[in-house]
Amino acid sequence: MDEMNFRPSAEISLGIELELQLLRAHDFDLSRGAADLLELLEKRKLPGAVKPEITESMVELNSSVHRHHGSLRDELLVMRDAVVKEAGVLNLRVAGGGSHPFHDWADRRIFPTGRFRSILERYGYLAKQFTVFGQHIHVGCPGGDDAVYLIHMLTRYVPHFIALSAASPFYQGEDTQFQSSRLTSINAFPLAGHMPFVRDWAEFIEYYDKMRGFGIVASMKDFYWDIRPKPEYGTVEIRVCDTPLTVQRAALLGAYAQALVAYHLAERPRAPARAVYLVNSFNRFEASRFGCRGDLIEPYESRRKKLGQDILESIETVMPHALQIGAADALAELAADVRHGYSDANWLLECHTELGSLPDVVRESAARWSALA
Amino acid sequence: MDLSFLPQLPFALSAPVMFGALLAAGLVAGEAANRYASLPRITGYALAGVVLGPQLSGLLSREVLHALSVLIDLSVGLIVFELGFRFDWDWLKRNRWLLVTAVAESLFGFGAIFGALVYFGFEPALAAGAAAIGSATSPAVVMLVAHELRAEGQITERALLFTAVNSVFAYVALTLVLPFLHLDLHQGWQQALLRPPYILGGSLLAGAAACALMLALARWLGKREDRQFVLLVAIVVLTVGVARSLNLSVMVALMTLGMLARNLDRRHVLMPLRLGYGGQLFFVILFVLTGAGLEFGAWGTAAWLVATLLVVRFLGKALAIIVFGRLSGVRTGGAGLLAIALLPMSGLAVGMVRDASELSPAFSGELGGILLAAVALSELLGPLATQFALRRAGEAHPGPQGG
Repeated sequence: MDEMNFRPSAEISLGIELELQLLRAHDFDLSRGAADLLELLEKRKLPGAVKPEITESMVELNSSVHRHHGSLRDELLVMRDAVVKEAGVLNLRVAGGGSHPFHDWADRRIFPTGRFRSILERYGYLAKQFTVFGQHIHVGCPGGDDAVYLIHMLTRYVPHFIALSAASPFYQGEDTQFQSSRLTSINAFPLAGHMPFVRDWAEFIEYYDKMRGFGIVASMKDFYWDIRPKPEYGTVEIRVCDTPLTVQRAALLGAYAQALVAYHLAERPRAPARAVYLVNSFNRFEASRFGCRGDLIEPYESRRKKLGQDILESIETVMPHALQIGAADALAELAADVRHGYSDANWLLECHTELGSLPDVVRESAARWSALA
Repeated sequence: MDLSFLPQLPFALSAPVMFGALLAAGLVAGEAANRYASLPRITGYALAGVVLGPQLSGLLSREVLHALSVLIDLSVGLIVFELGFRFDWDWLKRNRWLLVTAVAESLFGFGAIFGALVYFGFEPALAAGAAAIGSATSPAVVMLVAHELRAEGQITERALLFTAVNSVFAYVALTLVLPFLHLDLHQGWQQALLRPPYILGGSLLAGAAACALMLALARWLGKREDRQFVLLVAIVVLTVGVARSLNLSVMVALMTLGMLARNLDRRHVLMPLRLGYGGQLFFVILFVLTGAGLEFGAWGTAAWLVATLLVVRFLGKALAIIVFGRLSGVRTGGAGLLAIALLPMSGLAVGMVRDASELSPAFSGELGGILLAAVALSELLGPLATQFALRRAGEAHPGPQGG
């Protein structure tokens, strides 16, 4: 049961994982260059880690642990530059965004490791359709009970993270009309969804043991939840974000998660409520379909409001804590984007209107990720 | 009884009958080669051609082949255009060692053949001409095997890039060597001095003009794949036609068109290229006709020389790729596979040998025959080498098509 020992980590420490698209330069479809790229990157000393992901068209950047989103961003920038440079050697391009706008999932090839192969065997085409690109945010917390509490609290904010990161309006060559179409591919997995309504870490362990006993899961990795505890890191992991179009935005989202955690751990403003889970899938749908323009059912006050409005109010609420941890500037920037109606998804949509084809959109998106535009 | 509505016997073999029959024969042979012998389809197409051609059954006479040569040019035109279109200057800028490797690959291939031929007592000028011709890899074989396998990855991309570079290298090198063959023949300095710049300059100009037209029309048509496909075929056919009528090089003109279209399209008006089923028609015909035109003669008289030539050529290319490949980011074990993928000698050599032979009867003798025999073997076995390399590199698409 070592795996389930919750190792306490420094409160509100921050780490980020970003899944990135590897593209062919000649048509901007997904490439299959992950193995070659990783071999080149092995020769370089990097602050974080670059890892393979489920298909050969993706790699994942893992940051190290940070206190401040600024240093996290700087580290991610160093990693980004290294990845973009080595990708250039192989004539590959790199881009953010939650989905590749026009790739054919059937063409994807699973990265040849035991775990990924077994996922393909188990999930069939879902595994290849899983070629979507997410940002995972880890925030450190002092213990397992705190982690359970935070997950119940942060679930209310899942729509915020969906809307703020949304960057996958196109999927399989179509405008999906969703701000984030990526989540739909994840919903198909039997172990997607959310953590059950457990009271504390002990009760969570009980649940986990049962699921293992049934043979439904072998490890925590088998849960594809929106937010899950990561006992070996001592973190809660928010997994609903699309990979944004820039490293900078990824760091901003991290700062927002940090501020929310700081606020809830310090003030404990609410007790966990089942109502949060009653409205969850409605709110989640609204956020992925409409972004900040969607509706949100406030579970504690049971009233309906605009998601964008809710984000602005929440930013205001946590601002004092954001000031203490140096995240105020980041939150202000996010708030400004909400007010201006900016989202990465809208940027991609505008790109498409202006340039007229999806390969153009991918090219521009890659240029933006690589800071060429 | 008036039966004049009935056709005269024997039927005249009209162009459509010919075209359809070749297509069907190639298709069946290709499918059979793939299904029953696990050979690349294009080997099947070429075998069908060998059987139909003057060497065996004679159903396709030399006259017919000559008349159909426009189809070869069109198909080669499409392939070379695509090769040029995939040629990415940006890549060479980001990866300086890549150009070094590509040039070294051409030079070492040239040097190896040249050295071997001089060693065997051929005159340096003739040997240089043959080495220039021999240094090219077949764009058609590499491109079509990559298509058939739906191969994708570093070895595939580099094989295509190196093929583009060594095709251009071969043509330029031969053009530079030709004057020396002229002088052999005492044809006068005008021919010797003026012909190369006319062909090279003219082909470049034709390609550039076609590119300007293509970009202008594409901008006006907008980004629709269906329209741009028709535009592409139209421009390629037009350019092939112009190059033929002006006695220019189809290969250089189309390569120029492709490279410029890719690299000058700063406003990105062109869509990514997908030749798809339409291209397939041309490619079946290309290999059937190429197969029919293959010359095996020298295999009877100088087999060991032909074999030596192919071996030293391979060693030269492999040496260059092994020495410089790592620096350009080829993965461990990739260099050898890349060299194998580049084994097929170019069918363009047939045209080059013809050019050289016109100028120098010495060339048309033994050396021309040896080159043509090497090409013949390449067209039949080369696809196997390329297919082996791309599969071994793990770059073929898994499943019935690729795996």
